[in-house]
Amino acid sequence: MIKQLFTTFVAGLTLTVSAQLCAADLTDVNEIVKQANLAAYYQGADGRSEARMLIQDSQGREQQRQFTILRRDHEDGGDQQFLVAFSRPADVRDTVFLVEKHASTDDDRWLYLPGLDLVKRISAGDKRTSFVGSNYFYEDVSGRNPEEDNHTLTDTTGEFYVLENTPKDPDSVEFSRYQVWIDKVSMLPMKIEYYDVGDKLYRRVEVLETETVQDITTVTKSRVSDLVSGASTTMEFRFIRYDLGMDSAVFTERSLRNPPRQWLKRPE
Amino acid sequence: MLRSTLINISMNRPKWVFFAVLLLTVLAGLQIPSIKVDTDPENMLPADNAARVFHDHVKERFGLYDMIVVGIVNNSAGGIYNQQSLSELQQLSDAIVQMDGVVSQDMMSLDRVDNISQEGPGTIRFEWMMKQVPKDQAGIDQLRASVERLPLLNNTLVSGDGQAAGIYVPITKKSESYRISGLIQTEIGKLSGNNEYYISGLPVAEDTFGVEMFIQMAISAPLAGLMIFILMWVFFRSFLLITAPMLVAMGAVIITMGLLIGQGYTVHIMSSMIPIFLMPIAVVDSVHILSEFADRYRPGEDPKKALKEVLGHLFTPMLYTSVTSAVGFASLAFTPIPPVQIFGLHVAFGIMLAFVLTITLVPAYIISLSPKRMAQMKDHNIDEDDNSFLGRLLISTGRFSIARAKGLLMLFVLVIVGSAYGVAQIQINDNPVRWFKPDHPLRVADRVMNHHFPGTYNAFLVLDKTSDLRSGLEQTLLARAAKEGVELQQKLDSVKVESFIEYTNALINLFDQLSYDDSANETMWLDLLGMTEKAQIGSKYFLTPEAMKYVDDLQNFLDQSEYVGKSNGLPTMLKTVYRELQGGAAEQYRLPPTATAAAQTVLSFQGSHRPNDLWHMVTPDYRSTVLWLQLSSGDNQDMSRVLTLVEGYVADHPLPDGVKLNWAGLTYINVVWQDEMVNGMLKSLIGAFFMVLLIMVVLFRSIKIGLLSMLPLTVTILFIYGLIGLVGKDYDMPIAVLSALTLGLSVDFAIHFLERTRAIYRQCGNWEQTVAEVYKGPSRAISRNAVVVAIGFTPLLFAPLVPYITVGFFLATIMAVSAVVTVMLLPAVMEMIKDKDSLFGVKPGMKESTHD
Repeated sequence: MIKQLFTTFVAGLTLTVSAQLCAADLTDVNEIVKQANLAAYYQGADGRSEARMLIQDSQGREQQRQFTILRRDHEDGGDQQFLVAFSRPADVRDTVFLVEKHASTDDDRWLYLPGLDLVKRISAGDKRTSFVGSNYFYEDVSGRNPEEDNHTLTDTTGEFYVLENTPKDPDSVEFSRYQVWIDKVSMLPMKIEYYDVGDKLYRRVEVLETETVQDITTVTKSRVSDLVSGASTTMEFRFIRYDLGMDSAVFTERSLRNPPRQWLKRPE
Repeated sequence: MLRSTLINISMNRPKWVFFAVLLLTVLAGLQIPSIKVDTDPENMLPADNAARVFHDHVKERFGLYDMIVVGIVNNSAGGIYNQQSLSELQQLSDAIVQMDGVVSQDMMSLDRVDNISQEGPGTIRFEWMMKQVPKDQAGIDQLRASVERLPLLNNTLVSGDGQAAGIYVPITKKSESYRISGLIQTEIGKLSGNNEYYISGLPVAEDTFGVEMFIQMAISAPLAGLMIFILMWVFFRSFLLITAPMLVAMGAVIITMGLLIGQGYTVHIMSSMIPIFLMPIAVVDSVHILSEFADRYRPGEDPKKALKEVLGHLFTPMLYTSVTSAVGFASLAFTPIPPVQIFGLHVAFGIMLAFVLTITLVPAYIISLSPKRMAQMKDHNIDEDDNSFLGRLLISTGRFSIARAKGLLMLFVLVIVGSAYGVAQIQINDNPVRWFKPDHPLRVADRVMNHHFPGTYNAFLVLDKTSDLRSGLEQTLLARAAKEGVELQQKLDSVKVESFIEYTNALINLFDQLSYDDSANETMWLDLLGMTEKAQIGSKYFLTPEAMKYVDDLQNFLDQSEYVGKSNGLPTMLKTVYRELQGGAAEQYRLPPTATAAAQTVLSFQGSHRPNDLWHMVTPDYRSTVLWLQLSSGDNQDMSRVLTLVEGYVADHPLPDGVKLNWAGLTYINVVWQDEMVNGMLKSLIGAFFMVLLIMVVLFRSIKIGLLSMLPLTVTILFIYGLIGLVGKDYDMPIAVLSALTLGLSVDFAIHFLERTRAIYRQCGNWEQTVAEVYKGPSRAISRNAVVVAIGFTPLLFAPLVPYITVGFFLATIMAVSAVVTVMLLPAVMEMIKDKDSLFGVKPGMKESTHD
């Protein structure tokens, strides 16, 4: 509730006293990172949305994926639960991912494959692997823990806070650094650019469209581009709802074989 | 007449001739710096060749690139499974991935691939196989166990014996492989451990060949020139005399090469040999002129008179020998291989040019000499007398041929029979790696790598499912919509994409939206959506159990063959991931039971670091799949055996309905152009044979002598190819090209020999006397020319590249053999022909004067 108030407040500011905003620029990088993390991954107490992914390879060939994401926060900036249920292509329909995201320890991940009638636990391992063959990583979907990187505020422009980020454990990731542009109003990270060990820009994540849903500025279209191969994935979110009042029980192993239709169903 | 005009101009206006030739040479010479070397054997096929187009299309569809394979070998007991070897591998791989021209995302080595493994019951783990080199032996043992569990990696990234690891470096352009392999070599130089490093792969061989070819050209051509120069000096002992033929040779070579380069043609392996072919051929005619001129010219006389006589006398035979040689080379235009066509036509041009230069430049040169120098020329008597070694040898040869005519004929018949047997034994085979000498680093790398690994040569077996999916679906959809009175055609037409999967995706999105917007017809839209989804699942053909099983069975069959080291494909990946999903037990290594199970197995695989590896095995619509075969031999013969094996398999196990099987990969492409060449060469050889025969008949105005003149070269060619068959030398590209051009070169001897024999017989009318005469002058000229040409090719023997050596050796042999056959066989055959008057066209009482 507090959070919702906060966003309303921010939105109100944008409309009326935008001039004052400049004066109110944040300078504490940790505060910026914290707010951005909340704006990007912790909107509302819970939420649902339907995602349509268009994966385009370097030759322009397209594949599509469609799934519904349910999310519930234990606490803002802390532990979260995710359930991702696939609806298309039809041959992977009802495949489900379940994630218990922990702020301080490794996440727990499960996978249900209906065609094999199989529930598998997926070892924490590396979260920077492809999300179902797209250019998104698991970590892009569920959020990278801000504690894993060192952040510095390198620039504050009229629109953005520009942050430079380096991993605390370089061996755990494939990038050497990344730059992120955070919208000063919505606090959403609008663009992230990753550099490899040779300091060559090789990957870009960007927000293409946002909408205000239940007073929350929400990303409705984003894209990840693999700048080396020329492939990219565009993800569109529709039928977004926050604060549905989902119960923790929605996110248990039981839901893998018996998806919670009540929440997956498109809201009227 | 053209003849007299040319000769008159050159004798009366020598300066014009010099100037014109110089101008042409300079113009052509200016083109040479823009030379472009092309070493890509793929260009042996025209760009629109079906196999080549398919090959390129496969590379594009499956995102396949030409690959350099770097091998790290450690022969100690633990092989490469030790910290130091693995660290070096990682260091090298880190350096290579940063290089320009390397397709970094597709590079394969231990530190860039994924491991999929079990982590306790019910838990599966995806992680980098070797993100960091393990710190202890236990970690290294674990790594080894992991690699050996994964069929896609085992024996590809690390050899079965554990002694060798491979880094597979895909490169954007094949023409970059020499440069990139040089960079890799530099990186290897920075490593200090006790590992051995090897760089192999067809692209490297092909590109390296090009670079060495260029160096080779710069060395061999001048060397051949020098050799001919020395040789002529030995014969004539007069720089004065030798200068003229050398000028003709240089002019012909520079103008021909300038023409080729100026037209924008690339210099391919064959055309790089043009200077070496042209030089000996170009000097031969000048030698004839000079020999005869020195014979006839008396100091104090007007040189023009002697020159006119000589040229009048030699013009026809020189023209005909040039035309026949040119025809031999030009016949290469009948082969379907563009670089060979360009080579043949340009050498043909060069030969005709050399002829024109000989009858213009040489007379102009002689006329320009001061009387003093002219007198000097006489001092160096060109003609050896009958008592010289060569002279005596030839005279006794002549006596022998006539005396033992029957025996000789028998001997030649035996040689022909033996040769025919040899020809039947010929093994058609080639392998670009074998274009290097056995001790070349590339050959060594090839041997070592293929000893440890199942193979570094790639062939791709492609299966395509074709059927018209769209119209079937559209009919079903339209019928369903018609029931509700809804007009659907327009909506279907609004979706404009080629691929069925994208078409159905678009329809699914459309119907999904309409079921929402047009809720009155919701049920119908959902029905249509269901139908479309069903059609889409069905369209993913290579995920269906029937298709998976066929591919898997084919793969199992291939893996058992001794010619296929290893095969990788979609079934390998499906079975591996399925096994790990099912708990990792060996008995679970099998295909997913249904299409949806397969689709979900694929989805699991796509949660790895390298999801796109999937698209190297199957296209995103799952209607084309490729098997990557690793072959340990790049010999065309071995590739052909694999083709035959698969053909046999498909005959016994017919392909599923609508599935087409095709091949791609450099190893396969080499087989294709070799087949084209073998057939093309046969055509070109037959074509050249009849062309030359026709020219001979016209020249001699006699069918009998025409046929007779073809005899020595027929025997020679049969003998040489019989020898190749008997010795077991592979019939490869250079050998194939030799056949047609030999024909044009070796007929020269017969022309000179028969022309002179007939002229002498017509004068004296006595066979014995004719033979005695022929074995003096004409035979000596023939022998000398054979020696000049044969030795002119010998610099090729010192080439570092095998095709040049082959060409040099066989051309020299051919020249020698055909000279011997000409001077021995022809008199023997003529001895056996009773009616000499009829043979030489002598009417009773007629005595012919010399040519005008």
